[in-house]
Amino acid sequence: MIPTLGTLTLAVAAVACVAVVISSLSAARFDSRGALRAARWGLVGYAALITIASAFLVTALLQSDFRLEYVASYTERALPTGYKLAAFWAGQQGSLLLWAGMIAWMSAFAAWSRSSNRGLGEAVTLGVLAVICGFFACLLLFAANPFEVVAGAVPADGRGLNPMLQDLAMLAHPPTLFLGYAGFAVPFAAMAGALAERRTDARWLVDIRRWVLFAWLALGIGIIIGAWWAYIELGWGGYWAWDPVENASLLPWLTGTALIHSMIMQEHRGVFKRWNVALLAATFILCIFGTYITRSGIVSSVHSFGESLVGTFFFVFIIVLLIGSMGIIAWRWWLLAPQRRLASLLEREGVVLIANVVLVLMMLITLVGTMLPVITRTFMPNEITVDQSFYNRIVAPMGLALVGFMALAPALVYGQQAGRRLGRGLIVPVVAAVLVTALVIGLGVRNVWALLAAFFAALAASAVAVNFLHSLRMERAHAQVGWVSAAARLLDSNHRRWGGFVVHLGIALIVIGFAWSSLFPEKTTHQVTPGQTFDVGRYSLTFKDLEEQRRENYTAVVAVVAAVLPDGTTIDVSPERRFYDKAEESSAQVAVRSGLREDLYLILAGWEAGGKVVALQAIINPLTIWIWIGTGVLTLGSLICLAPRIGKAAGVALNGGKRHAEDITKDMRAPATNRSSADTGEREDSRTSPRRPHRPVLEPASAAMFNPADSSPTRLSTGPA
Amino acid sequence: MTRIRTKLIVALLIVGGAVAYLVQAGVRGGWVYSMDADAFLQRTEFHDRRVRLSGKVAWENVESNPASLMAKFDLESNDQKVPVVYRGPIPDMFRPGHDVVIEGRLDAEGVFQADVLLTKCASKYDEASPHGEGETMMEADQ
Repeated sequence: MIPTLGTLTLAVAAVACVAVVISSLSAARFDSRGALRAARWGLVGYAALITIASAFLVTALLQSDFRLEYVASYTERALPTGYKLAAFWAGQQGSLLLWAGMIAWMSAFAAWSRSSNRGLGEAVTLGVLAVICGFFACLLLFAANPFEVVAGAVPADGRGLNPMLQDLAMLAHPPTLFLGYAGFAVPFAAMAGALAERRTDARWLVDIRRWVLFAWLALGIGIIIGAWWAYIELGWGGYWAWDPVENASLLPWLTGTALIHSMIMQEHRGVFKRWNVALLAATFILCIFGTYITRSGIVSSVHSFGESLVGTFFFVFIIVLLIGSMGIIAWRWWLLAPQRRLASLLEREGVVLIANVVLVLMMLITLVGTMLPVITRTFMPNEITVDQSFYNRIVAPMGLALVGFMALAPALVYGQQAGRRLGRGLIVPVVAAVLVTALVIGLGVRNVWALLAAFFAALAASAVAVNFLHSLRMERAHAQVGWVSAAARLLDSNHRRWGGFVVHLGIALIVIGFAWSSLFPEKTTHQVTPGQTFDVGRYSLTFKDLEEQRRENYTAVVAVVAAVLPDGTTIDVSPERRFYDKAEESSAQVAVRSGLREDLYLILAGWEAGGKVVALQAIINPLTIWIWIGTGVLTLGSLICLAPRIGKAAGVALNGGKRHAEDITKDMRAPATNRSSADTGEREDSRTSPRRPHRPVLEPASAAMFNPADSSPTRLSTGPA
Repeated sequence: MTRIRTKLIVALLIVGGAVAYLVQAGVRGGWVYSMDADAFLQRTEFHDRRVRLSGKVAWENVESNPASLMAKFDLESNDQKVPVVYRGPIPDMFRPGHDVVIEGRLDAEGVFQADVLLTKCASKYDEASPHGEGETMMEADQ
């Protein structure tokens, strides 16, 4: 039943996409509202069908229906239920179904959330979404059908899930990553619609900025969860190996990061229009390209998947997307001319432009490095690969330079005076960063990369702190409220500015974690007998015994190790080696004890003489935990950006009713005063009513906005003079 | 306006120059030729360089000692074999008959000294799972 129904559902879904394409074309041609509504309903129908197909696969997985090749390949009866579910995205077909499902729901949601949009642009947007959805439906149907039936007799038990994938992070990593990939489809389609409709102002960017930020956030979290998974599961002590599959997910994140920043410039200033559409197209195509690299096995990688028809499908689709995007951008090239020119390299646009160039170069270098084996294999007698040091020597220093640009952000303003203000705003942060760096040198660190990382991270953090404190003081004086409510008002006054700076703080923490854990890990190997005590860094470890334990679907050989921490407490750090029933090899399960200062990372490397001698590899990874903490901060910051403004009512509530009514009325009058000049950037939302993001957007080139004399509000953003 | 354009070009040239400098440093250090084991035996010009070799772990002469972080084996492709000594943590999936990628250089005795050993962890992802059952597990039996 399920195999037939599943395949049938996919076929109907593919037909639904064709229908949506046809109805959006006719909506575009005849300006028909009915056709547009049909296209919307069609996308929702497609999402429902993909959901039904997914439900079939979930049912088959949970019921261990081994008639399905996919179920037999990736599960077994003894697998815990959670991992049976996770097996949904363990293999090629299932993970493509997940991708398709994510895109389907995003498209359906976009179709409805934009349901007030009409006309040619919306028809094109829906049509492009339907083409993307249709590609996945056809891919599933013809090249990667998860409902394929096993050849021959139905096996009594499945082959089991890859032990490496039997980890909690596995439940979260692929869906989050795919959510990010799929999230960029909607802005991409909206771009096609806006260009078709000749809408090259910033309004369409305002429509999609939450989508872009959401996709960027999901992609970033997905990448970091993947790194964490590698850290605790692959057992080599690191979290990032510049593997092609890892690089593939990094590429769209880099262009997405550039896009988030340059979109703001277009919104405020009407510049970078061509750059933005190109970045957005590149980001989505790189998402598809990342899946292509992962799923086609074109670059031999430690993750490689089998080569198949899937690769061809993706290759053709990428070519179509490339030609289509370049065509539509070229078609509207002259409409995308900038509305004003750069006034100074030290104003926001200048710095964002240079940082964007660095981001795009990072992406290109990573792309070339990743594809080099394929390029050289095709065009040269010898295949050339690059190892990790290639990326560490090129991309890592560029990343550090970016942190330097990031540190300038709080002190940056628009306009002619920007350079001078930047200098003034940076005095205190530079002093703070120099002090921090001196302190780090005092602690004995001499590595120049570590010192640079410390300097830039401290600069970034103190620039944000100084700017926030300064604005807080102004806010407090202006509103005559307490520190806490002033802080709340300030944060709420401009979510994107302060949320963005919280993201920057998160990045600074992550960079410190990257720098220390990759520059200063201490690896030691110990051959020990039961009862023996040995020292690793500041820890005293005692190997007690080697135990065998039977668990759900594997047997674990556990080296029971007790560690005495520097503060005298004893904890259990017992690395394992697991022999899964259905796996040919054993797999290591590391023991990690994370602390704010360092991680103690223990691997059971092997044993001799029936367990009388055990080899343990110990790694002290300094500051690794700050990568994960920084990711939490980054997520918090992005959520602040995404959250709608709470507004005046909340301000009153936060204030505990201390404010007088006249203050409130004064605030309500505030929009009339010209405080929210776009020149300040950060104040543009602050004194206006909550629903007024369009004002600076529609007319970014009006003369009043970059009048150098109009500088009074700008003081707010530059820190102490 | 032209002044700002000149400044911009200069700034981009500086960025480009810095990146070009990094790239050439990266290429010098991180650029590795890779080939199959049999091709490597033929091409003596690569015998004094760091290279990346791919092939299968030959069935005979495999000595793997995870406790001392060392493995000796022959890397085989097209019936030609390169003797290899690898030092480092033995990956979970290292076993005879599996495809591996190693990185290192040939020593004076004609033994390839490897410090990188990558196994293709793909058996569960591939279309087919061709390996037989019941072989000994490298780590467990010693």
